[in-house]
Amino acid sequence: MTAFGQTSGKISIRRQGGSLVLGQRADRLRHAVALLGRLILLAIASSSALAVLFIFYFIIRDAIPFFHDNGLREFFTSTHWYPSNAAAPEFGALAIFYGTGMVTVGAIVVAVPLGVAAAVCLSDVLPFSVRQWVKPTVEILAAIPSVVYGFFALVVFAPLLQDKGGQALSVATWLLFGPLAALAILVVADVSCGRLRERFRNPARAAVMILLTLAALAGLWKLSAALAAIHISSGTNALNASIILGVMALPTIVSVSEDALTAAGRELREGSYALGATRAETILSVIIPAASSGIMAAVILGIMRAIGETMVVLMASGNAAQIPQPWYNFLSPVRTMTATIVSDMGEADQTTGSSRYHVLFAMALCLLVVSFLANLASEWVVRRTVAKISAVRGTGGGDAASRPQGFMRRVWSWIGG
Amino acid sequence: MHLRTRKIIDRSATGIGILAIVVMTAALVVLLAPIFANGTGAFVFRGTAEFRKYQSDRFDRGDREVLTTEKETLRQVRQPVYDLLHKFEHQLKNDDDLDARFGAEFPKLKREVYRLIGPPPGEALSRLERDEYGATRWDRALVQADSIVHVQEDRGLDSHGFSLKVEGPRAARYKGTSLEPMFGYVEMHLAELLRPQWTFYPQFLIDNPQDANFFGGIGPAVLGTIYLTLGAILFAVPMGVITAIYLVEYAGQGRFISLLRTCISTLAGVPSIVFGLFGLAFFINTIHVSPSKSVLAGSLTLGLLILPTIIRASEEALRAVPLAYKEAALSLGAGQWRTILTVILPAALPGILTGIIISMGRAAGETAPIIFTAAVSVGLGVKPWEVFTSPTQALSWNIYNVSTEHEAVDQIRHVQYGMVLTLVVLVLALNLTAVLLRARITRRLSG
Amino acid sequence: MASSAVAERPKKMTTSVPTTRPTSRSPETPQTPAVAGEVSHVAAEGFHVLYGGRPAVKSVTMNIPPGRVTAIIGPSGCGKSTFLRAINRMNDLIPGCTVQGRLALDGQDLYVPQLDVVALRRKVGMVFQKPNPFPKSIFDNVAYGPRIHGISSRTHLSEIVEQSLSRAGLWDEVKDRQHDNALRLSGGQQQRLCIARALAVDPEVLLMDEPASALDPRSTARVEELIDELSGQYTIIIVTHNMQQAARVSELTAFFYEGELIEFGPTKEIFTKPRQEKTEAYITGRFG
Ligand SMILES: Nc1ncnc2c1ncn2[C@@H]1O[C@H](COP(=O)(O)OP(=O)(O)O)[C@@H](O)[C@H]1O
Ligand SMILES: [Mg+2]
Repeated sequence: MTAFGQTSGKISIRRQGGSLVLGQRADRLRHAVALLGRLILLAIASSSALAVLFIFYFIIRDAIPFFHDNGLREFFTSTHWYPSNAAAPEFGALAIFYGTGMVTVGAIVVAVPLGVAAAVCLSDVLPFSVRQWVKPTVEILAAIPSVVYGFFALVVFAPLLQDKGGQALSVATWLLFGPLAALAILVVADVSCGRLRERFRNPARAAVMILLTLAALAGLWKLSAALAAIHISSGTNALNASIILGVMALPTIVSVSEDALTAAGRELREGSYALGATRAETILSVIIPAASSGIMAAVILGIMRAIGETMVVLMASGNAAQIPQPWYNFLSPVRTMTATIVSDMGEADQTTGSSRYHVLFAMALCLLVVSFLANLASEWVVRRTVAKISAVRGTGGGDAASRPQGFMRRVWSWIGG
Repeated sequence: MHLRTRKIIDRSATGIGILAIVVMTAALVVLLAPIFANGTGAFVFRGTAEFRKYQSDRFDRGDREVLTTEKETLRQVRQPVYDLLHKFEHQLKNDDDLDARFGAEFPKLKREVYRLIGPPPGEALSRLERDEYGATRWDRALVQADSIVHVQEDRGLDSHGFSLKVEGPRAARYKGTSLEPMFGYVEMHLAELLRPQWTFYPQFLIDNPQDANFFGGIGPAVLGTIYLTLGAILFAVPMGVITAIYLVEYAGQGRFISLLRTCISTLAGVPSIVFGLFGLAFFINTIHVSPSKSVLAGSLTLGLLILPTIIRASEEALRAVPLAYKEAALSLGAGQWRTILTVILPAALPGILTGIIISMGRAAGETAPIIFTAAVSVGLGVKPWEVFTSPTQALSWNIYNVSTEHEAVDQIRHVQYGMVLTLVVLVLALNLTAVLLRARITRRLSG
Repeated sequence: MASSAVAERPKKMTTSVPTTRPTSRSPETPQTPAVAGEVSHVAAEGFHVLYGGRPAVKSVTMNIPPGRVTAIIGPSGCGKSTFLRAINRMNDLIPGCTVQGRLALDGQDLYVPQLDVVALRRKVGMVFQKPNPFPKSIFDNVAYGPRIHGISSRTHLSEIVEQSLSRAGLWDEVKDRQHDNALRLSGGQQQRLCIARALAVDPEVLLMDEPASALDPRSTARVEELIDELSGQYTIIIVTHNMQQAARVSELTAFFYEGELIEFGPTKEIFTKPRQEKTEAYITGRFG
């Protein structure tokens, strides 16, 4: 205690003085100001959110007169689209829905295998230094405006398809199916002869391989010959639109899938490698299943991008409101909902509120509903992933919780395009 | 399975992955290569004497004296062509037989020749500028000359049932007439007739288009894109950033907040064409921000489109600000607002800016939302005080327009490519800025 | 929602005069007047802090005298930081954090609704475990506090900055580069900058939460010296889990265990003849 006695001499605290409590009026004012500030912020924040409700309201408002006057049946079941026929307009949008579906399916067929393979490569194969170079490619693909893709489709790609379409298709067949067939042959031969006794195994395998190779070559040859003979009468068709839309959807799919694959974590991979699995086996049997919901979300977002895209389909799809003959004929021109809105709105008298005007809002409403549902679906899928991942990791750990959250935010960012 | 097979499968899988990356990169190259290769042609090309004459007449550019002497030289070289044409025309009038053979074709031929080397003074075939000047670009001139010197002749149908066309020299058709020498002359003296020179034409970016984009540049479209982008940013940034601040600094985890978030993410998923229709139905037809299409209505629509992106980027940037900064500021006696304004926002600024710049790229490139709200295909540059009422050209819409709805799409390819290149460079430059900015933030945060 | 609820304060504890004398306590909250006859600067009475209902600080009663260095020691997770942050109401930031009981500065209860938190934090500065300078210049870091309290004259600010940096023993090292980014300083310099920044608003109490735990030994020594120099001018409360450090810099030591204050007294006594078994066990290294 004496120690304190000694030091007490140098104590010289400067007291600030002044009361720590506010008077009643100052206190009220402080609360009022805080509340007001908060309310203003809330108002602005909610008006950002209100915007989407406004969009729904105004699209529905202008769509209702159409359904009121024309009912639902013709719109959804007929393929006769002649809205500008003054005497007897026809509003059968089935072919247009079909066209949208067709190019979307085409785009997904192009983008999903390519995108997921690229994502796997980015997350599991490429070294960091190469990845740094590939990522900007994805970003640039995502940044290029859709009208530029459309221009490319119309001015560069369509003439190419029209002039050299058949040959291009047959070359593509060889490039695509050749390696795949080779791989399949190897696996089939190995599996089918695996049970044989040691002595017969190698000759048997060689025999099977030769047989299969011959069969595959013959098949490919026929296929490519058939394709090469195809004459494409117009370069602007469903195939063109599908390929370009696929390339456009690629960045979304690559980025979201890659995030999902990365989020699967190192422990999972190491566990699999420790059991002696190869990289391909690890990827196929462990990582992709673990990331499947994320990849699902990626596909949904890719679909959304393809359905909602306007300029590319307007410029590349040929704009013929018809169901192709036969139904799977990707070489015939089709018409999509977005393209219809653009090209028919120009003709419709924008303010008089004719059926021609309202039918386009009906179509926009369909688009809106589809994108809303897809959005909900992707959110649901992502939420399930998060739940799954945190269940695997055990809840509570700060790190375990933060990773899926970051992943979810990234996914959310991709919804925006 | 055999270990060897497993290894082969493993390698093949790697191969497939790398193939996918290669295909993706190739797609990018294939997309951008023609755009860069042809797009630069709008700015750097071999301009003919007609180009220089046009620039001098219309924009008062170039050295008068040089041009006058060049004009004189050209007159001498071109005179024989004009003379031959006049002579033949005269003969046509007097010779019914000749008239029966060439009466229909000759006026077209004459027009094509005039479009190649320009009409003789005072003899323009119409008031259209394309009839007052010859070919301004050497690449166009070569195509034009070819269509004069050669002619396509129908040869019935080919084996597929498509009409078969064969090219032949036009001179052969005019064999024995007084016009025959003209074709040889044009072919031989094409360079002297047009005097091509390498030309750098940066004013392509600011000049008004003339005569349906046959001449001039893309000034109004560039200007319109800038207006629309800035307008969208002006509207979306304050709203987006404030919303993000609310979400990060004030909002908890309640029902209402999750509803708010769902709304915002739904907004992000709305197709861009629906934004366009909404802009038309709401901004123009309901609240009448302008009597019809205007820069303002387009900017508001685009602003709404990029709002979710800005909210998200700002939110992420704000969340990335270390809690320690906030604690430090509060422990020094700063209030919540003061903390946000003096510490949190400045620290999040680079991240927010990155988001803003990326959104700018998006707004600049979007077409569908402005079709019904702002874009027109013709018109002069909009003056800053006209933005509230006047519609505008915009690069994105004009690319569509001049490459699909133009009367002569394949004669103005250079304009189309020039526009596309301008838009691509604009968007990529914005994205590059964003990338560099992001790199700087990372560096700064690490000390 | 970030503000702590003020709950269940015993009615009798109204604002009292600053000379609250500690009275004797129940046996499980061993309580001693820190220094006989000395007034308290910060006083806790039956003070609890709860995170979402789970107590992290339990019924703490202690009187911290002015102008001294008081160390709070204890095993990790025992509520040292929580208690410290309660003194300038930094816990307001944590959703779900509530308090019970009474905590007073100069006799003024800190958890009354009308309390001006800004004025409180001006009087009670804080230095954190990890140096956390703003990503601004050295000058702007130190001038931040004075600026928000309304000083805008450049000369006045320069004066305050120089004074604060000198008091924090950093002036000579940085006087020629005051406009460099503070993040370019070394860890130890950053921490002294944070101390200077806290001093610039001229506080009465300085809270330090393991201020040296992220620093190398040399910087630690420098910070300890600094605390020694500052003692007497400020009431310093320092949390540390380093007992040598507590012994070196403090005059008083409080030992916390599982949210409770086990023992509080002159540092020498705590380290040489602790009265509680748990204290002894802890300082002899049998746990924690
Ligand atoms: N933000 C928080 N939310 C919930 N519990 C917390 C929080 N911070 C600390 N705690 C809990 O309060 C107790 C005391 O923590 P703390 O004061 O940080 O301990 P110390 O600083 O002594 O290591 C610990 O059990 C800790 O888990
Ligand atoms: Mg602590």
